[in-house]
Formats: sequence, C-alpha cells, structure tokens
Amino acid sequence: NIQWLGNRIDAAQVSRHKELQSEVCDLTEAEEKLDELISKCNLQLRLLTEDPQNKKLGYVRCQDLRQSFDSPDQLVMVIRAPPETQMQVSEPSEGYQVSLKSTRGPIDVFLCPEDSSGVC
Amino acid sequence: IGLPTNSAQECQNLEVERQRRLERIKQKQSQLQELILQQIAFKNLVQRNRQTEQQAGRPPPSNSIIHLPFIIVNTSKKTVIDCSISNDKFEYLFNFDSMFEIHDDIEVLKRMGMACGLEVGKCSPEDLKVARSLVPKALEPYVIEMAKGPISNVYITGGSSAN
Repeated sequence: NIQWLGNRIDAAQVSRHKELQSEVCDLTEAEEKLDELISKCNLQLRLLTEDPQNKKLGYVRCQDLRQSFDSPDQLVMVIRAPPETQMQVSEPSEGYQVSLKSTRGPIDVFLCPEDSSGVC
Repeated sequence: IGLPTNSAQECQNLEVERQRRLERIKQKQSQLQELILQQIAFKNLVQRNRQTEQQAGRPPPSNSIIHLPFIIVNTSKKTVIDCSISNDKFEYLFNFDSMFEIHDDIEVLKRMGMACGLEVGKCSPEDLKVARSLVPKALEPYVIEMAKGPISNVYITGGSSAN
C-alpha cells in the first residue's frame, strides 16, 4: 500500500484544481452560448435589413442628421457607397486624408446642410 | 499515475485558460450588445418612418431622406476640403486642412434615440419595454442587463430562461 507523502499538502491544490476545472467548463459553455447568440443575431439583422419593405423604410431625414450633429458650425457630409468599398484614413500626423475605393459601383457623396444638397 | 506535483503546473495552465476565456467572453459580450443595439435601433427607425408616412399619407420627398447604409464625415465649417473624384465616381480622395470625424449610420441612430438609451445604459422603464419588445426572447436578459448601465464585468445569464 503506497501513499504519496505529498498528498496531504496537495489537498488544497487538488480542490483548487477541481474548482478551476469546473470554472473553465462553465466558461466554455457560456462562450458557446454567446457564439450561438451572435450568429443568430447576425442572421436576424441581415434578414431585417434586407427585407424589401424595411429597406424602403430604412432611412433618416436630413433634419435627423442635422439634429444629431448639432450643426451650426459643423459641416455634415454623407457618403453612400456600395458594399465592399474600402475606406482609408491617413495617420493624423500625415495630414487629414480620406480615400474611398469602390469596385462595385459609383459612390455618392453629398452635403446635408440646410442650404444646398449639391454634390461635393 | 502522475506525480502530485503535476497538479501545480496544471492549475497554472487552467488559470491561464480561464483568463483567456474570460477575455474572449467579455469581447463577445460587447459584440453581442452592439448587434442587439443595431437590431433595436433599426426596428425603431422603420417603425417611426412607417408611422410618419401613414400620418402624412405619403413618403417624404426623396431628396430629404438618406437610406441606410451610409457614413457621415463631419468637420468644422471652416475646414477647407479638397476633393478629387474619378470620372466613374468609383474613387474619391479628400484632403481636410483640419480635424474631422467619421461616424457610421448606427451612431446616428443612437444619437436619434433609436437605441432606447441602451447604448449608455440610460433607459426609462418605457424605453426598456419598447426595447424588450423589439428583440427575440433569448436576447431579453441581455437587454435588461444593458439597461442597468454599461457593463464592465463578465456576467453569465442563467441557463434556463426565466419568464
């Protein structure tokens, strides 16, 4: 009958080990549940925004924009671009530059302010 | 049979694993929250527009509305913007002589109050009721959690859904 001498000292460690094991197990489960919810949510959002009726009603008014960016001294520019358009913003240290590159169709840019809605 | 000393090492490994998972869960929770916000904001917007159109008896003039998705770039009116456009309008290059901000449409919807104040955890009981009605049941616990304020800690919703 052999008994490890260290056994008694390790008792605390063994219970710590068990505790950690069950915690990791719980976390794994929680993460899996989150993954599932995230993918469901993504799908719901896609269905929602792709629904033709919703697409028609999915708009903001110019006045919404103006109110959202309390405009008196702000210029608000709206960019509507096809999916997969790339937007690149320079490092502030290298100047303030934005470039847009589309592969799927023309990009629309216009100003929202009170006066005109002319193209840039 | 391994020596008991192994368990010290194993505990450490588990500790690392636990930490890693906690980090990932935190990140996924905020991802989920953002998706929930988007869902609520979009549904609210559609509802609002449907109502206004019904009241007015017609859709608003097309030059007064902007359909999603879009991006906003805003800057001071004093900023000089230099803009070059390719002939086919596939490419744009903007140079600003001063700072600017970029916002996505969801940010605009949030500012319009379409996310029921959930984005900052400031949600009246009525707001919360509306928000809850706009998400599937499985997401309600998250909405309730978000309404209480910004979440900093990892929380785990109960396995069995109450109510």
